Parts: sequence; C-alpha cells; structure tokens
Amino acid sequence: MSWLYLGIAVLFEVAVGILAGKAQGFTKLWWTIGTLVSGAIATFFLSLALLTFDVGVGYALWTSLAGVGIVIVGALFLSQRLTWKKLLGILIVIAGVVGLNLAGAA
Amino acid sequence: MTTTTHTPPPVTAEKKTGPWLALLVAGVFEVGYALSVNGSKGFTNLVWSIVAIIFFLFTLFFLSVALKKIDVGIGYAVWAGIGAVGAALLGPVFFDEALTLVKAFWLAVIIGGVVWLKLADSATLTPNTTDPTTPVDEQG
Repeated sequence: MSWLYLGIAVLFEVAVGILAGKAQGFTKLWWTIGTLVSGAIATFFLSLALLTFDVGVGYALWTSLAGVGIVIVGALFLSQRLTWKKLLGILIVIAGVVGLNLAGAA
Repeated sequence: MTTTTHTPPPVTAEKKTGPWLALLVAGVFEVGYALSVNGSKGFTNLVWSIVAIIFFLFTLFFLSVALKKIDVGIGYAVWAGIGAVGAALLGPVFFDEALTLVKAFWLAVIIGGVVWLKLADSATLTPNTTDPTTPVDEQG
C-alpha cells in the first residue's frame, strides 16, 4: 500500500515539475494554481507513504522517481531530447532504488 | 523562468550571492518540509500539518526567486540534493529512524542519480542541444 501511495505522490510531483515550468516563475495564474494544487495532492500522498517509509528513504524515492518521470514526460510529450546523460541519470536512480529494495532498506 | 529582464542589474558580488543564498534557504525549507510532512502522520497532526504547508510555500517561493538568476537544471540539482541529503541525515535525529551504512549507501546512489539527472537538464552544461530556442523552463 505504501508503494501505491508513493506512486500517486510521484505522479503528482511530476505534474508539479511540468506545471511549474509553464507557470514561468509563478507569473501565470492558472499554471500557478495547477502547480499548487498538484503539489498539495503530492504532499498528501507523500505523507501517507511516509507512515511506512522512513522520511529519508521515502523522500529520496519520491523526489528522484519524480525527476525520472519529468524527464520521460518531457521526452515523450514536450519534444525534449533524451540525451545519454539523462539516460545515465535514470539508470543510476533505478539502480539505487533496486539496490535499496534488495538490501531490505526501503 | 528564462524570460529576460529589460534592465539587467549590474553584476556585483551581492547580486551573484543573492540567488545562491535564496537557493540555500529554499533547500533548508525543503528539508523542513520533508520532516514536517513525516511528522504530520498522514496530515492527522494539526501543528505539523500547518508547519508543512508553510514550509511548502516558503520553499516554492525561495526556489522561484533563486531560479530567476540561476540555471534551472543546476538550481534544481542543488535544491533536490540538499532536500534529500538533509531528510536522510535529520530523519534519525527527529524521528525513531536509523540510517544504516547499507541504507546510506543506496540513498547516496539514488540522490547522486537525481542530482546528475537535474544537471543533465541544465542548458548551461549541455549547450549542444539541436534547437537553442527550446525552452528549458519546462524541465524540472
């Protein structure tokens, strides 16, 4: 269940990353409202996930998986290039998440 | 966030350190945000919940101030790094948690990965993009 909460929190944090860019330094009202609403939902589900995860582990998983999601969404829908540097970053994050789980530390 | 101002301020030491100070403050607030979200116990604890919301707004505000002058990719990398390292180190201080060596190692890998990922988004560090007009502020 905690992974489900974390997954939902990650999805809304990805939305925050995309919407915050559209809000252009929070000068665009509706994009700013969208950013804040997404951030609030992401925060709520993060808090549910943190009922199980340690804060250090849950927060790192949340922010890093959201970072991966933002790059993937950017590449798929916002015509941003998926460079080898970004791919390497994604692989490092995934390796870390898998390693954390295999070590039973998540 | 990449919109140019019409009257660029003179480059002084203060103008250079200001945005980085704002970024540092945003990072500290992000650590506070992570810890208070944890302390809110699923937003059932009122005081921690209010503190979490205040930290959330403060970290967004200072981050947006910092990113007006600092490259978005570098800014997010530093901010995310401070937040994640701070939460991992201070979690055991404030809560009943333990940071074992194995856990710390894999957290370092994850945090290193996301910092690298944000840096790879940097327009300054990756000037070889095919289309220089591609807005970078959609990345984050």
